[in-house]
Amino acid sequence: MSGFLATLNPGFLLIVAGLIAGLTPIRPVRQAISLLAPLLGIVMLWGVEQGVDLSTAQVLGLDLVFYRVDGLSFVFGLAFLIAAFLNAIYALHTDDKLQDGMAMAYAGAAVAAAFAGDLMTLFIFWELTAVSSVFLILRAGTRAAYVASMRYLAVQILSGVLLLDGIAYVYRETGSIAMEAFTSLDQAGALFIFIAVGIKAAFPFLHNWLQDSYPKATVVGAVVLSAFTTKLAVLTCARLFPGFEQLVWIGAVMTVFPVFFAVIENDLRKVLAYSLNNQVGFMICAIGVGTPLALNGAAAHAFAHIIYKALLFMSMGAVLYRVGTVKASELGGLYKSMPWTTLFCIIGAVSISAFPLFSGFVAKSLTMSAVVKEGYWVAWLMLLFASAGVLEHSGIKIPYFTFFAHDSGKRVKEAPTNMLVAMGLAAVLCIAVGLPMIGGVGYGVLYRMLPYPEVAQAYEPYTLEHILTQMQLLMAAVLAFILLKKYALYPPEKPGTILDTDWLYRKPAFALVLWLGAVWNRLDDVLSRLAGGLGARLFARLEAAFSPRGALARSALVNGMALWSAVLLCVVCVVVLLNQ
Amino acid sequence: MSATSGHDPKNGAQDEMHPAARMLFGWVSAKSSPAILFWGAIVVVIGLIAADLALHRHDKLSLAKTFGFYAFWGFGAFALAVLTGWPLGRLLRRDEDYYEEGDATPVENRQAGGREDAE
Repeated sequence: MSGFLATLNPGFLLIVAGLIAGLTPIRPVRQAISLLAPLLGIVMLWGVEQGVDLSTAQVLGLDLVFYRVDGLSFVFGLAFLIAAFLNAIYALHTDDKLQDGMAMAYAGAAVAAAFAGDLMTLFIFWELTAVSSVFLILRAGTRAAYVASMRYLAVQILSGVLLLDGIAYVYRETGSIAMEAFTSLDQAGALFIFIAVGIKAAFPFLHNWLQDSYPKATVVGAVVLSAFTTKLAVLTCARLFPGFEQLVWIGAVMTVFPVFFAVIENDLRKVLAYSLNNQVGFMICAIGVGTPLALNGAAAHAFAHIIYKALLFMSMGAVLYRVGTVKASELGGLYKSMPWTTLFCIIGAVSISAFPLFSGFVAKSLTMSAVVKEGYWVAWLMLLFASAGVLEHSGIKIPYFTFFAHDSGKRVKEAPTNMLVAMGLAAVLCIAVGLPMIGGVGYGVLYRMLPYPEVAQAYEPYTLEHILTQMQLLMAAVLAFILLKKYALYPPEKPGTILDTDWLYRKPAFALVLWLGAVWNRLDDVLSRLAGGLGARLFARLEAAFSPRGALARSALVNGMALWSAVLLCVVCVVVLLNQ
Repeated sequence: MSATSGHDPKNGAQDEMHPAARMLFGWVSAKSSPAILFWGAIVVVIGLIAADLALHRHDKLSLAKTFGFYAFWGFGAFALAVLTGWPLGRLLRRDEDYYEEGDATPVENRQAGGREDAE
């Protein structure tokens, strides 16, 4: 790759392709654009020179770096481009200009942000991810999706505003907007940017936008959404806050709390949203540890996660598309009519559960080893708990209640061919980067791309000890599931809404705002009357005194005033004369 | 939006089965499968725990050095997460339309027996 394309951020290409696709009424042309743009992006990225500012500009005295690739951003950018390609295949059965265009522009914004070499360029594309992705929720066409998308947009824009605020402080303090890691949260702007990243990465208590919006998106929309926003936040976090110990604990909590919600949640796309939260927790924890091994772990986990999470969302999307629901209480026995979807879903499930031979195993091992090496024992035990939790909600609950369990009697067609192809390719990737190295294929391919390749290649995930301990953990958890089901101790799947912390602002805080509004309306009446009455009386008094019809204007007084003024003047003159 | 919808649910057609389903998952409906899975899982877990006797692990944390630690932790974590679901469900579950925002199923995926695929 040389010339113009060598210095063009592949994200820009995808954004332009998205805009063109969004305006192209001819479906095959639009789909060709959607498929070719990410492939061209991968080719452009593959031979790129790393660690160099490839495209720069100066605007208003700011040094902008539009395209800079390093070991960390390469893995994320490549995963984004692969996801964009898989998503384009998955969407081939639809005919929706806006969705196609915005999905591509959203992917492009994430890629562009991943390769941004300065904070202002990051901010621009950070915001573009928010604005473009909201359409993927809105297109579901329901009132629930509309209100959720407005909440989503508000939260995402808030994140952007905080980021900009932080950048302003950084610029004032240092005179530069270069993308450099902070060393402390006490630095100017660091806390603002930390919270901005925390919102997008869905830190605990800042996470509700994710579970609120993703499950309400369209079938294709949820798949697209699952790949980009949170992982862009993970990348930004790894660039700006590596080794921040707070992140170890934030990440550990993130891995644990979604497990409990996922157990009782009936909407399986929402279960996947909680699962997403839990997985991002592993990455955040690794960034908090901050060693080369841990950062390799975060990057490898992000790469593997983008693929297997997309695969799981694709399989649930296929079920929603065919059956009309993804409520666990209404599903079961679908393996009979959707066997290929079942198979691909199971591959996604064992990958995310980190069974040996699958991508999750080789990725998560890096993080777990790094946490152990640095002696974060409590965090390690929390991650170990969460690993069994992942197996529960994504490894077992998703495939079991959808495709097996009791037969719901629903007989549908297998997923459309394009969906199966997308799922199949994702499944192949889950296995290809998870296998031991055989004939040039295996986990080494992924490890070679990591930010610290020497450290990664010195690490061996397939030791007998690793395999044994992981299998002990997972198989004992599987046995727990079998026993709990056998003795009817597993809580039945029930329809309902599970309250999370967003209840605070969706119910009491919203009610408070409504109440304050009602109080204000009433006070407004009273105050208006009061102010109106006072004003009228004051005006009447002033008018009575000063108007042409008023008391001061009456002739007697005017004459009297003139007389008295003359008398006073005389007195003053006499006094002045006498003094001389 | 003119995306196609793919519903074709035929309730009650218990015997209809995709040809690939017999090949890939035909064993699921076999009568002996639950027992095989149950006893198979027990045997596998006992075997994996027994392997602790043969393999010297390099764990630094004293808790992790204990015999069969990973299996007990995995079993306990899974059971705790699931059993917590009983009280948590009672505490946190509300009506489906608790937030009064209506059905969240995307409009294009609602109509049963929808339009044919554009495959």
